[in-house]
Amino acid sequence: MPDKEIDRALKLVANLAIDKASQVLSKMVKAGARIDVENVALVDITEATEKIMRTEEGEVVGAFVDLIGDMPFKFLFYVDAQDSLTLTDLILRRELGTSKKFDLYVTSSVQELGNILASAVTNVFATDFQIKMRPSPPRVVHDYTSTVFGEYIMEAAADQNEILMIESQFKVVRMNIKCRMFLLPQGDAQKELSTLLGKV
Amino acid sequence: MAKRIIVVDDAPIIRLMIKDILTECGGYEVVAEGSTGKEACELYKQHKPDLVTMDIVMPEMDGIQALEEILKGDPNAKIVMVTAIDQREALMKAVRLGATDYIVKPFEAERVMSAVQKALGEETKK
Repeated sequence: MPDKEIDRALKLVANLAIDKASQVLSKMVKAGARIDVENVALVDITEATEKIMRTEEGEVVGAFVDLIGDMPFKFLFYVDAQDSLTLTDLILRRELGTSKKFDLYVTSSVQELGNILASAVTNVFATDFQIKMRPSPPRVVHDYTSTVFGEYIMEAAADQNEILMIESQFKVVRMNIKCRMFLLPQGDAQKELSTLLGKV
Repeated sequence: MAKRIIVVDDAPIIRLMIKDILTECGGYEVVAEGSTGKEACELYKQHKPDLVTMDIVMPEMDGIQALEEILKGDPNAKIVMVTAIDQREALMKAVRLGATDYIVKPFEAERVMSAVQKALGEETKK
């Protein structure tokens, strides 16, 4: 299968995963959520990090999840720190503005969102492609975007210059909450994924 | 008399959500909360609740092991498993081992109440 076709198939996988994640997110926050796949591409690690540092500032709260199994991936979900308070109120059906500080429940909300979104992704791989994966317990971080993203990408790509990145942004309708989600294949997963998609 | 329930999940937000749903519905008292399977077993012995809601993926001892342990001591224990979407195999195992019902995260209040009421042999409250 030519590279162009593999790219198309890869975007299809990403879209399926993102669609599923979008459904579970809407259900969890009890509001419409739309997730757009922004980019599925082989990117230079330095360029990707610089882009994030250039375009995004401020603190975020995020969840790192290792998707372990047949095709390991690293998953990252993060949300602007202030918006994580709103997400917590939405999840708990509280009046907006109730959560004012980064307490146990805010951390737990982001952790659970990371867990549920990562589970939605692994579900697509399992159901549509018979690839067994499961998420490990999420690790929550609260730091500057560049620090969080830097840690994520360095962990995922310690011995590579280029990496396949699935990047998406989603919005909670009417709340103007922007979150980001990234998926990076680990080890041989990138090669295996291409082989698998070549057979589709 | 209110039905006594233990909520076990390593995520405080999920414990709070389940507790809020049960409290709002009325007729239920959350007598204890735990965050590991080991705690679930200890709390069960201590409180002898009418029902336990149990997460599957937890540190120390997972929900499946805790289910087995509790049912070994009390074969009539009512345990409703709570899990994320991808844990189908684990869920099936839990049901085979004797879990009364299950709830998939993210859940809605109606689904939680329906599972709890069914497990307790109650009619669905309107």
